[in-house]
Amino acid sequence: MVGIPRGLLFYRFYWLWKTFLEELGVEVRVSPPTNKAIIRRGLTYGVEEICFPVKVFLGHVMAIQDEVDFLFLPRMVSFHRREYTCPKILGLPDLVRNLFGISSERIITGEVNMRDTGIWGWRQGFLEMGRRFTRQEGKIMRALKRAEEAHKRYREKLKTGILPEHLIDRREEVVPKEKKVLLLGHTYLISDSYINMNIVQKIHTLGYGVVTQDMVDEQRVRKYLSLLQKPSFWTISNEIMGTALLYLKERDPRLKGYIHLVSFECGPDSLVGEVIERWIKRESETLPYLRLEIDEHTGEAGLLTRLEAFVDMMEWRDAHLESNLSSSLAP
Amino acid sequence: MRATFPHLLHLDVALGILYPTLGIEIVPPPPLTRKTIEIGVKLAPQNACFPLKVTLGNFVESIEKGADTLFMAGGVGPCRFGYYGQIQRLILEDLGYKVQFILLDHPRYGIRSFVQALRTMTGGKISPARIVRATALAWKVLRFTETIEAKRRALRCLVERKDALDRVVEGTLTRLRWVESVTALEEIIRSTEEALRALPLVREEGEVLKVGIVGEVYVAQEKRINFDVERLLGDLGVYVHNSVSTVEYILHTLPFTRSREKEETWRLARPYLQRFVGGEGIDSVGSAIRYAQWGFDGVVHLYPFTCMPEIVAKGILTQVSKDYDLPILHLAIDEHAGEAGLITRVEAFVDVLERRKKTRRKSEVGRAWTYS
Repeated sequence: MVGIPRGLLFYRFYWLWKTFLEELGVEVRVSPPTNKAIIRRGLTYGVEEICFPVKVFLGHVMAIQDEVDFLFLPRMVSFHRREYTCPKILGLPDLVRNLFGISSERIITGEVNMRDTGIWGWRQGFLEMGRRFTRQEGKIMRALKRAEEAHKRYREKLKTGILPEHLIDRREEVVPKEKKVLLLGHTYLISDSYINMNIVQKIHTLGYGVVTQDMVDEQRVRKYLSLLQKPSFWTISNEIMGTALLYLKERDPRLKGYIHLVSFECGPDSLVGEVIERWIKRESETLPYLRLEIDEHTGEAGLLTRLEAFVDMMEWRDAHLESNLSSSLAP
Repeated sequence: MRATFPHLLHLDVALGILYPTLGIEIVPPPPLTRKTIEIGVKLAPQNACFPLKVTLGNFVESIEKGADTLFMAGGVGPCRFGYYGQIQRLILEDLGYKVQFILLDHPRYGIRSFVQALRTMTGGKISPARIVRATALAWKVLRFTETIEAKRRALRCLVERKDALDRVVEGTLTRLRWVESVTALEEIIRSTEEALRALPLVREEGEVLKVGIVGEVYVAQEKRINFDVERLLGDLGVYVHNSVSTVEYILHTLPFTRSREKEETWRLARPYLQRFVGGEGIDSVGSAIRYAQWGFDGVVHLYPFTCMPEIVAKGILTQVSKDYDLPILHLAIDEHAGEAGLITRVEAFVDVLERRKKTRRKSEVGRAWTYS
């Protein structure tokens, strides 16, 4: 049995990984949704300065490692040409190995690296992992093809406005709302309602629906990203920046504000957030922007207060602008 | 055009030779002080890593002194350093500074901008021969500044008078700023070596504790940022070796100029960290292992707080420390790091190393006795 820890890129590649492994005839087990015990373990046994999502991931590894024969930890170095994921994800299998003393035989890993070689590097990575189960390369490639199809369907479904979390656990979906906020941030923050303190539901209760970067067409995101003199070299951060720029330039009247969810020690987000904030400030007439930092010390009450204040601001601004409009229309 | 560049230990000495020879007027960056750090911290994003803040402070101070062109290196990731230039440009633009930002980026990001940056950096109309000569001299000077710093950290615990050692080194560094030819440089190298040899020693290398420094290229070298840990260790009677070097860092960017030593470091790190994770993460792991093999007593790991590659390295170094029985002191540096706390930690670390060495010697003697 192979275990997949529920954390980091899991929320992006769950269907890909799961289908790939199952097509190879492997039984897959996913660690349970994040809970207090998992976080506590991650905090105790992780590196103290590492970002919160990695600590949570390490907690998931601990939660599942005794129940399974192998851990599935693909080294997702890059899944876009000329770009990288963050250094912590690059070193993740090594971190798990060294921190928990898990032997290399128990870790199924392979370097998926599309940075220089594109699709070739992608296939190489999955071939490397598939060889742990079968010698037939044809079988691995077929499994990968099926997995890619499943992944594509999954990404398409996300575009209709469903969050990965709801899709993975078949949880109740939220009813769409008329007014929306753009919720930016890594999927592993937005989609883990335990560590983000159910932020989507909270926003929903306050009367707003959310749009995330996973719900936007990738090609359009990339187009707007080229407004920057030099995009960053982190794929997910680029998607976040591109989405922010897209909604900055192509106004959607239903969209009332931006919320950027970041984890405290996140390296890429510390710079990317600055770029987004400065671009928003440079526009003459913009929507409110809120950066919410999440880590193990974040309190639920504080988060709710900030959200409420932000919603008040959006509403005030809306009313203010509307009255402005009507007064200018009046003779 | 009045150009400037950020500090990195003695990089300003080398660049101060290179640019004027190419006909570029420069504003030497003002010395890195508490104020530089304050400026940078105020303007930079709160959670950005420390070197970004310090170099931003550098730029602002240089602009106030009249610089209008900023030279900065870029990168291709995944470490945040490669994106510094973009962030700093945005910040300086928003502050209303009218400056030209010249980013020497990897040719991967467009060969044209790379060539353009090179052309501006070389003034455009100077003969290639002269560029090569000037670069070669600046390169040699940079190399020598590192050599002399290495001598200083090695000799500090051995010499009778530490102030005499500092005088020799500082005098040489000042003289290096006015070097105009390779012959003049060789003369300085010769006389410095003579002066260093003339310093009376009171101890021998074999009897002192040995500590190696690993970490991020900026913080592990820039003594004005890391509270001069090397000097502190030297004053405590420790022989210090630093594995981090700007020369190696520059050579490393191109695959065919990588030194054999660097390749060896990576090979040593492989059992623990299988691939490059940006910055100097893998080098920190490999160098620590090498120090263990050299029989060093301990390792000091210096990095900016929240530095991504070094945090990965830190997680892995805990296992290295166990496997090789090598004490490692992790020091995260940022604007909140306090000098007093740092000194206490370093002193305690040296105490631990001393005690370990003593007990080990005793147990060796004991073993010899039981077996004889």
